[in-house]
Amino acid sequence: MSKVLIIAEHDGANLNGSTARAVTCAQGIGADSVDVAVFASDGSAVAGQVAALSGVSTVLQIDNAANEQAVAAILAPQVQALASDYSHVLVPSTTFGKDLAPRVAALLGVPQISDIMRVESATVFDRPIYAGNAVTTVEAPAGIVVGTVRTASFSAADAGGSATVEKREVSAELPSHTRFVKLETSGGGDRPDLQAAAKVVSGGRGVGSEENFKVIYDFADKLGAGVGASRAAVDAGFIPNDHQVGQTGKIIAPELYIAFGISGAIQHLAGIKDAGTIVAVNKDPDAPIFEVADFGLVADLFEVIPELEKALG
Amino acid sequence: MKILVGVKRVVDYNVRIQVNPDGSGVATNGVKMSMNPFDEIAVEEALRLKEAGKAEEVIAVTIGPKASQEQLRTALAMGADRAIHVETDEEIQPLTGARILKALTDKESPKIVMLGKQAIDDDNNQTAQMLAALSNWPQATFASKVEVEGDVANVTREVDAGLETLAVDLPAVISADLRLNEPRYVKLPDIMKAKRKPIETVTLADLAVEQAAAVKVLKTSAPAQREAGIKVESVDELVAALKEKGLI
Amino acid sequence: MPEYKAPQRDMMFVLDEIVNVAELAELPGFEDATPDIVQGVIDEAAKIIENTIAPLNESGDEEGCSFDNGVVIPPKGFKEAYQLYAESGWTGLDKSIDFGGQGLPYTLATAVSEMLSGGNDAFSLYPGLTNGAYEALLEHGDEALQQRYLEKLTTGEWTGTMCLTEPQAGSDLSQVRTKAVDNGDGSYAIEGTKIFITAGEHDFTDNIIHLVLARLPDAPAGVKGISLFVVPKFLINSDGSLGERNPAICASIEHKMGINASCTCVMSFENAAGYLVGNLNEGLRYMFTMMNSARLMVGLQGMGVAERATQGAIEYAKERKQGKAINGGTMIVDHPDVRRMIMTMKALTEGCRMVAYDTAKQFDLSKVHPDEAVRVAAGKQVDLMIPICKAFATDVGCEVASLGVQVLGGAGYIRESGMEQHMRDAKIFCIYEGTNGIQSLDLVGRKMKMGLPQNFINTMQEQLDAESENSDLAFITEPMKMALDLLSVTTEWMVEAAQEDPQNPAAAAVEYMTMYSLVVHGHYWIKAAKAALAKQDDDFYKGKLVTAKFFAARVLPRVYGLGGGIMSGAESVMASEIDWL
Repeated sequence: MSKVLIIAEHDGANLNGSTARAVTCAQGIGADSVDVAVFASDGSAVAGQVAALSGVSTVLQIDNAANEQAVAAILAPQVQALASDYSHVLVPSTTFGKDLAPRVAALLGVPQISDIMRVESATVFDRPIYAGNAVTTVEAPAGIVVGTVRTASFSAADAGGSATVEKREVSAELPSHTRFVKLETSGGGDRPDLQAAAKVVSGGRGVGSEENFKVIYDFADKLGAGVGASRAAVDAGFIPNDHQVGQTGKIIAPELYIAFGISGAIQHLAGIKDAGTIVAVNKDPDAPIFEVADFGLVADLFEVIPELEKALG
Repeated sequence: MKILVGVKRVVDYNVRIQVNPDGSGVATNGVKMSMNPFDEIAVEEALRLKEAGKAEEVIAVTIGPKASQEQLRTALAMGADRAIHVETDEEIQPLTGARILKALTDKESPKIVMLGKQAIDDDNNQTAQMLAALSNWPQATFASKVEVEGDVANVTREVDAGLETLAVDLPAVISADLRLNEPRYVKLPDIMKAKRKPIETVTLADLAVEQAAAVKVLKTSAPAQREAGIKVESVDELVAALKEKGLI
Repeated sequence: MPEYKAPQRDMMFVLDEIVNVAELAELPGFEDATPDIVQGVIDEAAKIIENTIAPLNESGDEEGCSFDNGVVIPPKGFKEAYQLYAESGWTGLDKSIDFGGQGLPYTLATAVSEMLSGGNDAFSLYPGLTNGAYEALLEHGDEALQQRYLEKLTTGEWTGTMCLTEPQAGSDLSQVRTKAVDNGDGSYAIEGTKIFITAGEHDFTDNIIHLVLARLPDAPAGVKGISLFVVPKFLINSDGSLGERNPAICASIEHKMGINASCTCVMSFENAAGYLVGNLNEGLRYMFTMMNSARLMVGLQGMGVAERATQGAIEYAKERKQGKAINGGTMIVDHPDVRRMIMTMKALTEGCRMVAYDTAKQFDLSKVHPDEAVRVAAGKQVDLMIPICKAFATDVGCEVASLGVQVLGGAGYIRESGMEQHMRDAKIFCIYEGTNGIQSLDLVGRKMKMGLPQNFINTMQEQLDAESENSDLAFITEPMKMALDLLSVTTEWMVEAAQEDPQNPAAAAVEYMTMYSLVVHGHYWIKAAKAALAKQDDDFYKGKLVTAKFFAARVLPRVYGLGGGIMSGAESVMASEIDWL
């Protein structure tokens, strides 16, 4: 009998799309119940969004001023306190989840399974190793299973649920040794979050400069897409690091991924291989990205983008 | 203050790994091994803290078979003062690794344990967080900037939403992300000097560490390959294809 | 454009299993050269070369050096890369501990040189020529000169040049005309023009130390009247600080076929102050004492460029889809002719590596082994192998670079592919530091008179005898028996035909050098195959074994064509009247 606890990722107001994907993973386990915990200072809004996900049994709303920001050292003892009622604790494999889950697992004295990409049974999972160049099938030992869910491998749970929201008090000693100072976002405005976006437009070294990236942003806005980048573009300073897609950046699975001027280094491809449709525009006909692209166009991105914008009206 | 920095021997990042056809794992026979690149960044950061007068001693630690000493030598050549080799031929998963590091921090009392955010072989990204949990220390993972002032480190972290800064009381565990620094090139005379720096060898038994319950690897397989699609000749053709799939 | 990756696996294979580098650590002075240090040196040298020097290969070629009124501007990034390389201590690898070096074996320096050449052959010349200047002063300079120059040449804070060639004195240095006049204050006034001076002027370092061949007014004519002087770009004050600019001026730079990032200078010495190295009139002899290491280094350049071309060709051939091959494959590597080219490239390049590293070890033995008999024998082995390491390896450089372009087809002919640069760069290696023709004449002349090639034929025969029962090796020992028999016969012919007409060996020198080199490669491939047979559970050794088989079947048979030509004599070569040409 499996009871799954998922830790929701959110920014205080909005639920991060990765949580809905973790719910789908939990359903794959064949869980009898899938509860989602929302740690916040006031989690009402987020809890409401979680409750609407189909497949969620109960939403646990743990309000505490200490939970204003998601700090792993503060969340982990609270998760530990809740975990005894569950067979599984799952967290999205985002920087939030990767930070938190191992700390929870260690407190529980169990190993942790990173980047679950396929569920074979309640204790057997596939996960990638060697930058996705191999996949291992692993079995968790007896005890609570703590895992992070590779979001690109699971679709988001539908809306249409109506789970109950329960406010919970968790008694756990919270450390004061770790203090949130600030979060600097790169100011995406209303642009969709890279990991949640249905469409992503990415630029690589071929974009040429920070100024030229405006072309990518503008096109993404026109399409309602998130903006990504290759490591080469980030390293060259064209675009902030939180846009990096790939093994060392974000692993994404949008329905549509359009890569402009990205050659397709293996690390980058590791970040997009679960995308629905990949479009690649590159001047170099031998660019490896064409090996994985559903539609490839050998052309200059600066000529293609205006034409695309025109065609889209 | 002391900084303990962990280094792991892994298959070199340039090696294109091959999955054994029988599912038994990845071919490592004769493959070039190197220090995990994130650990190299961790070593570099520890050395920079020392060079900036924030730390007095940098101790490199590795856990693994005899050959792992090569990676310790690299850390020593980069500038670490001494090294500890926890020698074992057993597979060490993150939880056990964290227990070992906990035993060493109890012994050495470092103010900072600096680790790579993940090893590029198993890609677990767990050991730093687990060590912090076992010690009830702060953790500052995925660091892209570390500033130490007295007993507090301000660490900028690369998170999905951007750059987050945490203030952590020392002692703390910090895990290095890619852009924390660019590791130095080892100088030839330092390779020679490293030969004379001490490496202490200990066993799990010496540290009274027992293996934690482990994840069992059932099989290893090659990932599903994405097939190449078609090349379109024009933007019009591309737009038509995307419209047909209902994507735009 | 493929990136250069140091062939560390093969380098370590050669060092460990062919050369047995571990033996060197048992020699006095080399105690530190233990296997862990060897591994560390190779790893770290590969890292800095791959990441900082190799990436400048293509841009350096594209940009080249520019010249403006005595100032040479090397390509972007070279100065910083040089300074990082020097500050990291790599220039002092095998130099004496007494002058701040690390005193490691030359064998190890050879491996690093290969990586440097493979990564960026033009770059490798900047530290490369310094080695010559260092060696000349170490071997022949008095203590004062050594104290003044050797430390800075070791640390790479200064670079060196070798100023030998003049417009009328190329391969024939007896024609040197540069004048040296005794100033009576311990210095000489050097006046004349030197050409083809590599790294003659640049801004990497505060000073450049020129070693200059010149002639006193009353010196005997010809080779017996040439002296060697050290001429610094900036004079050095008694406290070691830099003084006045010495009029050793770069008058212009050459526009070349390749190695464009290396500045090739015309140096004008306008009564520049020079200091005598060693004794008067012995300059040319001094030059010859360091010829071996310089020639080995040029051989490494040939091998380095071959390695880089091979890497580029393999990478491309594995990824380029074209046509359907007979085996059903769709990549060009599946096509037998492409495969033939790639196997040829691999076999020749890996063979050169074995010969070069083992010769470097003999070099070390000849210098430091406690037993004089061993030192002498090792020195002879070096003498024998130098033409093979230089001439054959640089011919291989050209052949392999050319095959590299061919594998890429039309793409290879386009500059962007990076492959045509290898072809342009490779040619000079066959020319400088004694043309391959001169190397070959040295082999069939002086060295054959000393019996060196003949002696090593016996060694090779002993190897074949020892392995005659090993049926697993028959695939190579059988063809080698035949090849060695032919080589013996040809060698006897060379000796006898020389009595008849000295033009016989001269006209066949290059072919003989090639033939001899192929058989020597076979000797080493037997060693490689033997090592590989024992470890057939590892892909690297599987690859090694099949390459040995390819060598035996497809490369070694070249000796038959060569043997026939050689023994036909000089007549067909020389029969034409010059007017008929």
